[in-house]
Amino acid sequence: MNGGVMTGREGPGLLGALPLGRNLRDRRFQALAASLLLALLAMIVPPLPLTRSGVSVLAVVDITGSMNVRDYALDGRPASRLDLAKAALRTLIPELPCGSRLALALFTERRPFLLFAPIEVCADVAPLSGAIAAVDWRMAWEGDSRISAGLHRAIAMAGELDTDLLFVSDGQETPPLPATGIPPFEGKPGAVRGLILGTGGYGLSPIPKYNDRGRETGFYAETDVQQENRFGPPPADAESREGYNPRNAPFGGTVAKGEEHLSSVREAHLKALAAQTGLAYAHLDGPDGLRGPLLAAATPRPLPGQLDLRPFLGAGALALVLAVFLAGAFRARAIPFTASRTS
Amino acid sequence: MALLPPLGAATPWLLWFLPLALLPLVLSVTRRNAVSSVSAAPEDPLSSGLRIALTAAGMLAIGGLVLALAGPYRAGERVTRIGIGAQVSMLIDRSGSMNETFAGRQPSGAEESKAAASRRILRDFVGERAHDQFAVTAFSTAPMLVVPMTDRHDAVRAAIAAIDRPGLDYTNVARGLGMALSQFGPSAPGVSRALLLVSDGAAVIDPRIQGQLRAEFAKVRPNLYWLFLRTKGSPSIHDKPAGEDTPQAAPERHLDLFFKSLGVPYRAFEAEGAEAVASAVRQIEALERDPIPYTEERPRRDLTGWAYGLAVLGLLLLVLAKLAEAEIVRLPDRKQAPRAADPAPAPAPTRAAA
Repeated sequence: MNGGVMTGREGPGLLGALPLGRNLRDRRFQALAASLLLALLAMIVPPLPLTRSGVSVLAVVDITGSMNVRDYALDGRPASRLDLAKAALRTLIPELPCGSRLALALFTERRPFLLFAPIEVCADVAPLSGAIAAVDWRMAWEGDSRISAGLHRAIAMAGELDTDLLFVSDGQETPPLPATGIPPFEGKPGAVRGLILGTGGYGLSPIPKYNDRGRETGFYAETDVQQENRFGPPPADAESREGYNPRNAPFGGTVAKGEEHLSSVREAHLKALAAQTGLAYAHLDGPDGLRGPLLAAATPRPLPGQLDLRPFLGAGALALVLAVFLAGAFRARAIPFTASRTS
Repeated sequence: MALLPPLGAATPWLLWFLPLALLPLVLSVTRRNAVSSVSAAPEDPLSSGLRIALTAAGMLAIGGLVLALAGPYRAGERVTRIGIGAQVSMLIDRSGSMNETFAGRQPSGAEESKAAASRRILRDFVGERAHDQFAVTAFSTAPMLVVPMTDRHDAVRAAIAAIDRPGLDYTNVARGLGMALSQFGPSAPGVSRALLLVSDGAAVIDPRIQGQLRAEFAKVRPNLYWLFLRTKGSPSIHDKPAGEDTPQAAPERHLDLFFKSLGVPYRAFEAEGAEAVASAVRQIEALERDPIPYTEERPRRDLTGWAYGLAVLGLLLLVLAKLAEAEIVRLPDRKQAPRAADPAPAPAPTRAAA
């Protein structure tokens, strides 16, 4: 581009014969030199230390009887709520940023039982995934399912471990909640952040029944389970019930009827619990998609990370080199060779 | 992703841009100079050589950069070696009494519960030797698989960190033993296997389950260690009860007898304090000194630096060439002369300009 006047600096010898000044001013030379500089930098720069955000989560999985209800499908086959919860957790592990930590506890009766303290999700993925795969309803130590009490204690446990909480449950209380409703929460709402993950379909499904050897023997019938909690004071409408007697039959004179032997996700109850304790609520729709709601609900925790600068430097160098070659092509088209142009 | 068995790229799709490296075959970075007739110039091997060298340098620069961006690496390998260690399946009692002290009280002040003492000592045990593999099973009313057999000691320590949390109700040792045995998986020849039962009590094993357990023990053939955390004043495993000698009256003694009858190497350690627990664990460690094959993961080697090195080499040649560009016909005019050359002061024109 620059008018190629020889500078007359050339002395004797080869180097002196070169139009160095003109060459140094050449844009394409400058671009190539910059590209060389970037590539050299890419060879030597260390990664930039920076802070990323990960999570630290205590996952509490409900393993009570109603979690055996098969109202999901996994790979085209009916799957129990517990199967789906396990699949969702195992899908979640590789999706969390490295350095995130996951602890696992089981819930039945009225308390969570901690299996292990938080484990890093990348390096220890094999034992973590294996432990989740091994979770089974047969690990339950009692048949009750007092979810409100379990959730309150799970929140306390997450507080002790300094983690957020992921509480996986279908919300079916066994025995049913008394007329007084959800027991009061003694902790501070919102002090522990986290997510309640409602599992189960919205329609009622029968609950499988197992014998003492762990074999499935059918489904629970209406008379197999407690339909109404008759501890504590009777409900307000008790007086209008048939056979009501304030002393002898404060809950009415008939056997309670209900649908406690069938199960669906009790979203209203779980949402009420979430509101009471300051947690978020999400419904488990499939094995994927747990990451988004969890990361939104959990506290981001700073993790040491590093940013590799080499791709940026390398991309810059490549762009410059390509530009130099392509500029040659465009110029060639713009300035065709004609005899008239040579002097 | 691995492309060839030993080589791979972190972002392989970027390799689709590799054909860009062919660009220097048709384009040149050097100034174009018009000459009246290329064919008028004589054949010049040096010029053709330089042209080839510069084309190659351009290809090297673009190809090297594309390759470097894709992040090439040599894949890691799994190498099986022989070390000293054992497969240890730990079966840990999580019944409520484990949260009491060795004196049978609720811990207060500086006192340590049985669970806290075993937690502290087992934590040190895990990771003492790099090639041990551990599995952790907890049991109370029901057995619980905590961590499957793994050589990731951090995960095992995280599981052991949980054992001094409030325990559950009962000591149902039979089902726990079944699950702890199943943790060993298919047998590998020559691997030393140890089942370490840590409990502060025993329970009657149902005669029906006794048969199953015997068969399992005969199949797996582990070395069996029972670390019995004895509460002061409670019967020892060797004490014969005053009255009838039935499993119900002395479950500890009868569990010991059952273990002795299994036909596998068995040792019981009675510990009445934290020091005794520590010495028992040291003895177990000394006993389990057998070779164990373990797989070592050789980390993958990042080759990105080499790719950048190739690109730098190509770019350096191009830069030098640009620096050494000169006109063949020295006229104070527009571009003249064919493609320039490397340090040589523009020799004869090449046969094909650009």
